Amino acid sequence: MSLEQLLPLELIDKCVGSQIWVIMNGGKEFTGKLLGFDDYVNMVLEDVTEIDPVEGNVKLPKILLNGNNICMMVPGGDGTSTFEDDMEE
Amino acid sequence: MSGNVNGSGPVLADFNQAVRPTSDPSGFLSEILGAPVTVKLNSGIVFKGDLQSVDGYMNIALERCREVLNGKVIHNWGDAFIRGNNVSYVCADNAITGR
Repeated sequence: MSLEQLLPLELIDKCVGSQIWVIMNGGKEFTGKLLGFDDYVNMVLEDVTEIDPVEGNVKLPKILLNGNNICMMVPGGDGTSTFEDDMEE
Repeated sequence: MSGNVNGSGPVLADFNQAVRPTSDPSGFLSEILGAPVTVKLNSGIVFKGDLQSVDGYMNIALERCREVLNGKVIHNWGDAFIRGNNVSYVCADNAITGR
C-alpha cells in the first residue's frame, strides 16, 4: 500500500483553481473552473458550461452547484472527451 | 477605496475583511446576497430573482421571483421560498469572472 494516500476530498482540493468536469446523477454535466467546495462537495464554479443532453449547452458566469446530485468529478476535463475517444488512443 | 481622510483605520479594515472575495460555498453566498440570481431546480424549472437569503440547507428566499421557461417569464411570483433539497444550482447573473 502506498504511504502517499490521497483522500478523495484532497483530490478535489488539488483541483481548486483549475478546470474540472462534473457529471451529475441524471446525466447532466458541468464544466468550469473550481473556485471552492465544502464537506458536502457543494462546489463554486466559474465560467461554467451546463451541458444538458436534452436542452443543449448554457453558459453561466458563476454558480454554486448543489453537491447532492454530483456523481463524478474529472480534473482537467472539458466535457469533450468520450469513452470512444479514449479507446482509440 | 481609502475614503478615510483622517487615517484612523480599524473600521475600514473590518469592512475590507467583509468584502474580500471568498470562494467557498458559504463565502460565495454571502457575496451574492441581494444580487440577481438564477436558481435551477433538479426538475429543470428555472427561477430568477433577487437573492434575499440562504441557509445551510440551501433553502432560498427570492424577491421579485419570476419563473422562466425557454427564456420567457411564465409566472411572476413576487417573494418566494424555495426548499433547498430541490435546488440544482444558484447562478450569480452579474458575477465578474476571471479575477
